[in-house]
Amino acid sequence: MTAQPDASSPAPADVSLGIGKLVVPSLIGGLVALTLGIYGRLHHPTGVVESIAGFSSAGYAKSWLATVATVFAIVQVSSALVMYGKIPRVTAPSWIGSLHKWSGRIAFLVAVPVAVDCLYGLGFQTYSTRVLIHSLLGCAFFGAFTVKMLILPKRGLPGWTLPVAGAVVFTVLVGIWFTSAFWFFSTFGLHH
Amino acid sequence: MKFNMPLVTLLTGAALGVGVLVVSMLGPSGTASASGYGATSAASATTAAAPPSASSAPGGASGAAPATTSATTPGTAPATTPGTAPGTGPATAPGTVPTATASVPKADIPPKADYVARTDSGGAAVAISVHAGKAVAYLCNGHAVAAWLRGTAKAGKLELTGKNGARLDVSYRTGKATGSIMADGTKYTFSAPLVHRGSSGHRPPGLYEATAMVSGVKIKAGWVVLPGGGQVGSVEYFADSAVTPTAQAPVLDLTTGTAQYDGVTLVASLISGLTGSGF
Repeated sequence: MTAQPDASSPAPADVSLGIGKLVVPSLIGGLVALTLGIYGRLHHPTGVVESIAGFSSAGYAKSWLATVATVFAIVQVSSALVMYGKIPRVTAPSWIGSLHKWSGRIAFLVAVPVAVDCLYGLGFQTYSTRVLIHSLLGCAFFGAFTVKMLILPKRGLPGWTLPVAGAVVFTVLVGIWFTSAFWFFSTFGLHH
Repeated sequence: MKFNMPLVTLLTGAALGVGVLVVSMLGPSGTASASGYGATSAASATTAAAPPSASSAPGGASGAAPATTSATTPGTAPATTPGTAPGTGPATAPGTVPTATASVPKADIPPKADYVARTDSGGAAVAISVHAGKAVAYLCNGHAVAAWLRGTAKAGKLELTGKNGARLDVSYRTGKATGSIMADGTKYTFSAPLVHRGSSGHRPPGLYEATAMVSGVKIKAGWVVLPGGGQVGSVEYFADSAVTPTAQAPVLDLTTGTAQYDGVTLVASLISGLTGSGF
């Protein structure tokens, strides 16, 4: 409780060292995003995609999977807010950490097949603003997620890094959802 | 022993991604190989003059650079306008039925006409063919946008609709059709002149289509061939389904009327309002 000034605030050298730990994860994340984008641009989109059981078309399957991922992402932000004590009068329960981890894992793993389907079947496209934004955000998402996963186990980072990384990942995912599933449902309806 | 769980998550996702990718690559070609469904394809796999499949380089410039990949060998083939002209259009003589619902009089639709043009924006091209009371319109951008519209030409109006809310709104001047097409939520405006049949050795400007089975998937390609030899084409996959992933079409060889796509020869047929073929 009686935190000494030099104990609570690290020395300047430590801060720069902490930020320095972001360099390699950020580079790797950027490489991931670039790789996806370049693959999506160079690969001749086949339009041929595995149909996923239970859905009438790949478009519906992808839209619903993207929606599931987004819902879990909302759980992510909510649980993070609780963990950081940002929700007044809510005490973090013991299972909040597990909830946060598992909602994130599920959201990520659900998003992966959708992204593969997009990149393999449709590619990186630029023919309209919506599609361009979606392509950019789609590649950026996996880069940002990679950065967040890589910096998670690191110690000694400035306190803002994880919340900022999480917020970027969440914002990008919601942007992806709005430019794909939201557009899809509002164009074609919720079911076939 | 303590795992680096975030890294495990990442690697699991990467493995899942690779797995889905491999399944996607193997799946369609493994389950069903060209089943000879394509009535208009197969057959003439003898056309040795295979154009480069052109789908490798998207080029990025959808708007500026016209795809003038054809028209390099003038007059080598006789002007065999593609056949398949059933000419079954019901002769209802459009434009003569004065139901006159519109208050503003417009020029009547010619009973037989073809219009093609690039759109004013968006790097797309449009073709409209009218024949004996029926009409077909096609819009594509050479990439992921393709829309077929069909309907009637009655009382000086075209009533055309297509999938996913595609709409055509058009009015006529002498020798010209101006208006807009809604496709994929985007509005494309155009001003398309009448197509005049040239007497060169090439297939005439106009609207071409081809369907085929490629790796077990039904595809439908459409090309708008412009006066001067430019062309814009898109190919749709799962052609019978409600949602059709769409990509760049291979170059249509205007001397043979064919295109090569993933080892399959697409034989394009002209949809012509003038002759009635394709209606």
